[in-house]
Amino acid sequence: MYKELNPLFLSQLRLAVMSFLMVAREAEFNLLKEKTGATAGNLSVQIGKLQEAGYIEVEKTYKNNYPLTICRITSEGIAAFEAFYGDLKTYFDSEK
Amino acid sequence: MENIEKNLSPQESLRVIRETIDLAKHSFRENGFHFLLWGWLVVIASVAHYYLAEIQHAARPDMAWMIMVVVGVPVAFFYEWRRSKREKSENIVHNWYGLIWLGFGVSMVISIPMAVRNGLSPIPFILVLIGFATFMSGVLLRFTPLLIGAAVMWAGALWCMFLTPSQHLLIQAGCAVLGYLVPGYLLNAQSRSRHVQRT
Repeated sequence: MYKELNPLFLSQLRLAVMSFLMVAREAEFNLLKEKTGATAGNLSVQIGKLQEAGYIEVEKTYKNNYPLTICRITSEGIAAFEAFYGDLKTYFDSEK
Repeated sequence: MENIEKNLSPQESLRVIRETIDLAKHSFRENGFHFLLWGWLVVIASVAHYYLAEIQHAARPDMAWMIMVVVGVPVAFFYEWRRSKREKSENIVHNWYGLIWLGFGVSMVISIPMAVRNGLSPIPFILVLIGFATFMSGVLLRFTPLLIGAAVMWAGALWCMFLTPSQHLLIQAGCAVLGYLVPGYLLNAQSRSRHVQRT
């Protein structure tokens, strides 16, 4: 049962980013860094993996002449997270 | 965040999801601003309307409600504009909260002329609608004083059945104090204490 869980969500940082975006829908990179306590480098790598999977989209823009990176969860990301959460519940139900 | 590259167990996954979702929900700190703004305006307009109608016998006592348009709408828009500039993330709780009150606003705008055209006081209908929107806000924010505030609004609407339209104004002012201002100040105090804990 455990092996069937989506491996992309088995990293603590990726799961934290996805969980945050499930509520926030979109967030600035620096806010995600602050909330997860991750380093910028590690967060960039994990966000890249989520982006490659199509779970989030990244928009690079400017705010007051400073670069601004916004991460936004996609509908595929929401579906994947819900499926992962459903698999987790199934796992716990089967454990009972 | 420790052990970032380690594969999580199902128990750890569930803990991360719960902790992060809780953190994200608390990122949206509702400080009760709108409850305080609209609460005070409803109290002022209701009492002014009653005073102009019953004591001054003014020709258009209902003009007291212009304060909602002249003061309430611009202040609320300016506040939301500033908040949207400041926020570093969208928030689904915030979005739902806004949609509930948008739905209330539309329902109120429709119901007032319907009641007035049929020779009825619109206040009981407004109180029912405010009660519903306050109830949904209380559920969304998981804030019991708002649920109590909603019950006060609904009770006020029922009480109006036994009173004159002028007295409805005083009921509305009382409901605004108990259903808007009290939860508004409590939300404000909660938001400040959370802010202090985090800094």
